[in-house]
Amino acid sequence: MGKPKAIVDRNICLACGGCISVCPQDALSMYGGRALVTDEKCISCAICIRICPIGAISGRSVSNEI
Amino acid sequence: MKYDVVIVGAGPAGTVTARFAAESGAKVLVIERRQEVGVPVLCGEGVSRKIDEWGMLEGKRWIANKMDGARIFSPNGTMVKLSAEIAGNETGYVVYRDIFDQELARQASRAGAKILMNTNAIGLLKDKDKITGVKAKKQEDEIEIEADIVVGADGVESKIGKWGGIDTRLDPMDLETCCQYTLTNIDCRDSYCDFYLGNKIAPGGYIWVFPKGKDIANVGIGVLGNLSEAGMPKKLLDEFISNNPNFKDGNPIRFLAGAVPVANPVESVKDNLILVGDSARQVDPITGGGITHCLEAGKIAGETIGLAIERQQFDKETLSVYETGWKEAFAKKLKRNYMVKEIFLDFDDKTLNMLADSLKDLKFDEISTFSLIKALVLKHPTLLMKLRPLMKISSET
Repeated sequence: MGKPKAIVDRNICLACGGCISVCPQDALSMYGGRALVTDEKCISCAICIRICPIGAISGRSVSNEI
Repeated sequence: MKYDVVIVGAGPAGTVTARFAAESGAKVLVIERRQEVGVPVLCGEGVSRKIDEWGMLEGKRWIANKMDGARIFSPNGTMVKLSAEIAGNETGYVVYRDIFDQELARQASRAGAKILMNTNAIGLLKDKDKITGVKAKKQEDEIEIEADIVVGADGVESKIGKWGGIDTRLDPMDLETCCQYTLTNIDCRDSYCDFYLGNKIAPGGYIWVFPKGKDIANVGIGVLGNLSEAGMPKKLLDEFISNNPNFKDGNPIRFLAGAVPVANPVESVKDNLILVGDSARQVDPITGGGITHCLEAGKIAGETIGLAIERQQFDKETLSVYETGWKEAFAKKLKRNYMVKEIFLDFDDKTLNMLADSLKDLKFDEISTFSLIKALVLKHPTLLMKLRPLMKISSET
């Protein structure tokens, strides 16, 4: 089991861009008007989770996914 | 597609740059990933009266309300009132940012700039190391836009800066993480912008109330990133509203989130590349205000682009006319206020209350920083230690 990667709830995200600006790995981008995490780049630091003003980002394990 | 300049982002920084570049003869394209300029709004919508000096906006449709001044509330509720003359630099108007942005876009178009909506920048075009344009996605189509100059006016999350080799990544301690309701059915007949301070109210930030009319206001919060945790700004704002008799029955007709860089400015030019606005961190680190800087820097950027095209030189040295220009205009203020921000972060609620208690009876008509600090310290001598760093800064600038 890897550490949980960040995932953005697209129903909550309001596209402020805060998470993108603090990500040390440039793993987040705006896509279709919402923030989106690139799993391959995410290092599970959780900075984006803490920075989100409305709690739209959480951690989830991706160990079972391709 | 080939242009002299491609500008990424149709916010105020992008469209003002576009306007002045086009007016000085450049062939300009602005790309914007959203489907409507200025929407969704990501802003408290308080704008300095300095905006009048630039004369860049026509008519009055973008103005929601004109402010008489500002009131600052310390953690125990002590109020310090600032007249419009003192506070006007930061709190002149409450605006409709969507209309505001669209007016600026209209002027850019009028000057000859082309604006392409629904177009998301996904990378830079490069010839070896030289930046030659922008790669973008318009709906599902990938397009290549060649240009001699690329402008990153792509906001707090600036990708253009990163792709161009400028480190725009923000430390959480240099970011205010924000959210805001627009509340109706409340009483705000007083035309004052209100600010609520306190480490429990908004750690490292503040709650603001900006009235847009007699019964409607933007009520928002900013929390410093390193002091925040998931969803904290919304939680604290909800608490503030539900505990406030005037706001608790208000009806939220809009909810938005925002992220404001409160950092030291970054390098804003490279060969074939310019950053303007939030992407260049041209934001006041105390208030979080950036609109007037966007206008001021955008004009200088546009004129510099005109000059570069006239000379057909797009190297860093030529484009540095822009960097020198905006730094002369307001970088000193940003630098000083960044230091003031750091000093204020050390103030606990007790100190903030003492400060407010000393300030509340002062007449804020003609003040110098020195006489102000003297008055503060006379009432609460223990403030002397806390204020010493501020005195040092004010004597140096």
